[in-house]
Amino acid sequence: MIRFEKVTKAYPGHPHPALDNISVDVEKGEFVFLVGSSGSGKSTFLRLVLREYRPSSGRVYVAGKEINRLASWKVPRLRRDIGTVFQDFRLLPNKTVTENVAFALQVIGKSRKEIKDLVPETLEMVGLSGKGDRMPDELSGGEQQRVAVARAFVNRPMILIADEPTGNLDPTTSVGIMKLLDRINRTGTTVVMATHDSGIVDQMRKRVIELENGHVVRDQAQGVYGHQN
Amino acid sequence: MQLRYVYSELGQGLRRNLSMHLAVVLTLFVSLTLVGIGVLFNQQASKAADHWGNQLQITVYLCRTNDSSAVCPNAVTDAQKTEISQVVQDNPEVDDFHFESSEQALDKARELYGDELFSGDNPAITAEDMPQTIWITLQDPEQYEGITSAVQGLDGVSKVRDMREQVAPILESINMLQWVALGTAGFLVFAALLLVANTIRLAAFARRKEIGIMRLVGASTLYIALPFLLEALVTALIGVALAVGALWGFMYFGIAELSQNRLKFVPWIGWDEFWLAAGAVAILGPLLTLLPTLVLTRKYLKV
Repeated sequence: MIRFEKVTKAYPGHPHPALDNISVDVEKGEFVFLVGSSGSGKSTFLRLVLREYRPSSGRVYVAGKEINRLASWKVPRLRRDIGTVFQDFRLLPNKTVTENVAFALQVIGKSRKEIKDLVPETLEMVGLSGKGDRMPDELSGGEQQRVAVARAFVNRPMILIADEPTGNLDPTTSVGIMKLLDRINRTGTTVVMATHDSGIVDQMRKRVIELENGHVVRDQAQGVYGHQN
Repeated sequence: MQLRYVYSELGQGLRRNLSMHLAVVLTLFVSLTLVGIGVLFNQQASKAADHWGNQLQITVYLCRTNDSSAVCPNAVTDAQKTEISQVVQDNPEVDDFHFESSEQALDKARELYGDELFSGDNPAITAEDMPQTIWITLQDPEQYEGITSAVQGLDGVSKVRDMREQVAPILESINMLQWVALGTAGFLVFAALLLVANTIRLAAFARRKEIGIMRLVGASTLYIALPFLLEALVTALIGVALAVGALWGFMYFGIAELSQNRLKFVPWIGWDEFWLAAGAVAILGPLLTLLPTLVLTRKYLKV
């Protein structure tokens, strides 16, 4: 589903590349944690998947497409196959929960009928049924992140990318979000999650890819956060 | 694509940035009006030049029957005309020349003063009242004395008129007005472009969160840029409408009034020329806002 072949990404003005000749293969339906300290290359990895950047060298395949060669005008279509969740939720403050989730469908041209069916169904799945008319600032952090997950998943993408989704949440709430991501993963969606949260990684026992200074230093099938000697 | 969303975004965008949009509309209004006036003056200048001849021309009036001039006992004969044209043709100062018959002169006069004087059973002016003329184009506008004196004494020549003295100041002022209008318009067009650029920057900044989300969920570039383009189009259309209105006022209260009641000797521009200027303004206005919007949305809203 996601394949990096000898990918290097260097930013202009930086002496060391953010990613240095890494090769990674993520299968369809996998759940992968991306761990490593700040500046290790996690965000660059995710941005390459989203085709916000092109690699300096090497090849990146996402959902069967080689994205180096993907024309700019085809990028929006690629992103419809990828849901994204961030640490800071990124909800529109002047729209209700329902409108926030519906927005993702509106802007890609879904019909009103589809929106009417999909939005309540997804809100129910993330555990927010009955809260569709609330504004984001009336919700707790965990609930806001659930809205963000609903927005990312409402289009049933093949891949869900989560960049520190529990970074702003307390441990109990984080567990709820992780359960939700696990459920989404069980529907067949590939989940890639960058995180600093060792507790969560240790608990979930999923594949762990650890980055350090742009290199893959560990790729473990049922890993934990820290090094295991 | 959901047009409802695009329209509501358009309305929101226009309201949110009302003062900037007003600034764009007003700048466009003034600059487009000046462009239109420049175009009108330009046509006025060429119309006047067509009628009077340009600054290189002098006119030789030939004798007609009952000519008031003392040197004209009779109307010019064909032999005299041949001789005069020979002299004109041989003169090195002459670039080109042509005859204008009495009928052609009458047509010109009719165009200028309207039909009433020339129609009916007993018209006030007929072709016989109009002199035949030779219009001479000079090689060099400074060198006209040779040809003037050569033709002046010939039989059949009533008088030689160097229209440059009367026409040049009028043509010059029209030309100057044209350049003043177009020059000022140039500055204002530049100001309008900068204002449009700033408006888009502000609008993109105000909507950066929505735009970021739109990009993430895979909205197409056109979909993201469309509200901006529509905003640009709406401001342009309002600016164009105001400018065309102002030009209409200029024509109706300025030119039409002048041409009907005063300054009848000048061939004035009419509504054909107005529509041409309005067309130029209607094309230029949207271009002025849409082009920078296209360029800048590509820059600020890149996927």
